[in-house]
Amino acid sequence: MFFETVRLALSSIRRNALRSFLTLLGIVIGVAAVIAMITIGNGTTAKVQADISKLGSNLLVVRPGQPAGPGSPPSSPARPFSAVHVTALQGGLTGIKAISAVSQKSLRVVYGTESLTAGVTGTDLGFFSVRDWAVTQGREFSEQEVRGGTPACVIGETVRKQFFGGGDPLGSTIRVGGVNCPVVGLLEAKGTSGFGQDQDNIVLMPLSAFQRRVSGKSDIETIYVAALDGVATSQVQSDIELILRDSRKITQGSDDDFSVRDQTQMANTLTSTMTTMTGMLSAVAGVSLLVGGIGIMNIMLVSVTERTREIGIRLAIGAHERHILTQFVVEATVLSLIGGIFGILLGLGLALLASSLFGIPFNPSLSVIALAAGFSAMIGLVFGFFPALRGARLDPIEALRHE
Amino acid sequence: MSETPFIEFVDLWKSYGMGEAQVNALAGVNLTINRGEFVTIMGPSGSGKSTAMNIIGCLDTPTSGRYGLMGVDAGRLDRERRATLRNLYIGFVFQGYNLLPRTTALDNVELPLVYRGIGKRERKERAMAALSLVGLADRYSHTPAELSGGQQQRVAIARAFVTEPQLLVADEPTGNLDTARSHEIMGLLTKLNQDNGLTIVMVTHEADIAAFGTRTIKFVDGNIASDQMNRGRADVF
Repeated sequence: MFFETVRLALSSIRRNALRSFLTLLGIVIGVAAVIAMITIGNGTTAKVQADISKLGSNLLVVRPGQPAGPGSPPSSPARPFSAVHVTALQGGLTGIKAISAVSQKSLRVVYGTESLTAGVTGTDLGFFSVRDWAVTQGREFSEQEVRGGTPACVIGETVRKQFFGGGDPLGSTIRVGGVNCPVVGLLEAKGTSGFGQDQDNIVLMPLSAFQRRVSGKSDIETIYVAALDGVATSQVQSDIELILRDSRKITQGSDDDFSVRDQTQMANTLTSTMTTMTGMLSAVAGVSLLVGGIGIMNIMLVSVTERTREIGIRLAIGAHERHILTQFVVEATVLSLIGGIFGILLGLGLALLASSLFGIPFNPSLSVIALAAGFSAMIGLVFGFFPALRGARLDPIEALRHE
Repeated sequence: MSETPFIEFVDLWKSYGMGEAQVNALAGVNLTINRGEFVTIMGPSGSGKSTAMNIIGCLDTPTSGRYGLMGVDAGRLDRERRATLRNLYIGFVFQGYNLLPRTTALDNVELPLVYRGIGKRERKERAMAALSLVGLADRYSHTPAELSGGQQQRVAIARAFVTEPQLLVADEPTGNLDTARSHEIMGLLTKLNQDNGLTIVMVTHEADIAAFGTRTIKFVDGNIASDQMNRGRADVF
């Protein structure tokens, strides 16, 4: 009996192929949107977590200013760090592997007739160690270059590809914001970050050269501190806070005008941001599912009206109300389940496309797929019930008279 | 059988509308039909014959009075119970055949058995037997559009008969057919009545068709104007 009903529903859906297809489209798009959003969201979160854990669990990031929390007014521009603070940290901290001071600016970089905009980063020798970023060709900066402020560039893979193609970049001179800078090294390729940022689009130069020749300011934007293995980052973190409060002359009782965060905190913040975004986008996609459901209800009402006479015949030759009800509810459910299945396939396809375009891992969640299939069937059930009930409640005499 | 009549109308009324505008389709009808009778109902349109037939077929309920079917007070039953009565005891044949379009003759005849929860194999056997009885076994895979009017009506009779009902209700079954085809259908119904003892109640407005029944009742203005046995019943064999 049940299979009879499903077969009947399928043949009725096939009979109105175009109409069924257009009705399905609502569900297909809704389900595809939900599936794509969640799959891409999961992939991105996984990628962000992987990126952050690659930085090392014992890395602390020190930035001026407090991160603006929700609802708080935008903080006034915080006092930047300067060499004084870095020196204070270098002198005062114990149990650390390296410290690196970093300033960055997005600048036009030119070589010959080629040019691109890269993240030009002024830093010191500690950078390669704290960021765990190796030079695969050439060398790091020398002590003299760092001390003397001599321009010398270590470039990322993207910059190399753009300027030198397959060729050797070492020894060539590129122009960074009006400064001639010989290329001395090539960084190991890191690929895209979890946010779709190309990490290899970077040009490193000694901080002193960057400050003097490129930015014209002695500011330091970020200080990275890498603790030694086995040293508790919380201890190092409170040491940093003490030293900086002292060297920045923050009076007792006032808040820090800088923030120190370790990787776990960063990962948590980023993950929760991703989860919120994914949730919001999925909610929007869910609304389109609701609209799809209303489309199904609409078409089922049309279907019931069209088949009034058929319903009359069925009632006269022995159908009970529940038979008619089941027939139309099953038809609506089968219809939206088919839409759900196509939607899942389309959504996974979109997620796969996005993952290959942006280098995000493809993380389909079986539970989400099952949920989407179940949800789309439920939409058919819920939105098909009212039209089906209308059909089942028809007066057989009236229905038989219907042309 | 004489203690409970097969079909019984006792002071049966069916009214539409309210107050001044009230119309009585049936005005206090008293009627008894016994098992095995082939009753033909005649009358001009608006005489109440169709209303009477709908009530007999448990598609409609009277406003007042009693409609008894096999001793059951069928006029008081709710929708669900009337559906059960139709399902168990009643077969229908309509003027417009009312087969499901785009559905084969076999599937059409099987349909009432689906609603009786009968398994696929038995359904098919019984439907084929019913189609053989109406002489259309070789057309089982044809859809209504591929069958003539007379053939469609024969499929409809097979569909009404396949459930082995106690009562067959026919609403002008020959209304859309020419004389030869009409006589074919009437022959079939007569055969079902005589060989299987099936009780038939049939509405028609053709006197020669009505003469096939064992008894003819004429309705005028919501009541019975005449009720007579047909001695010289048309012989089709």
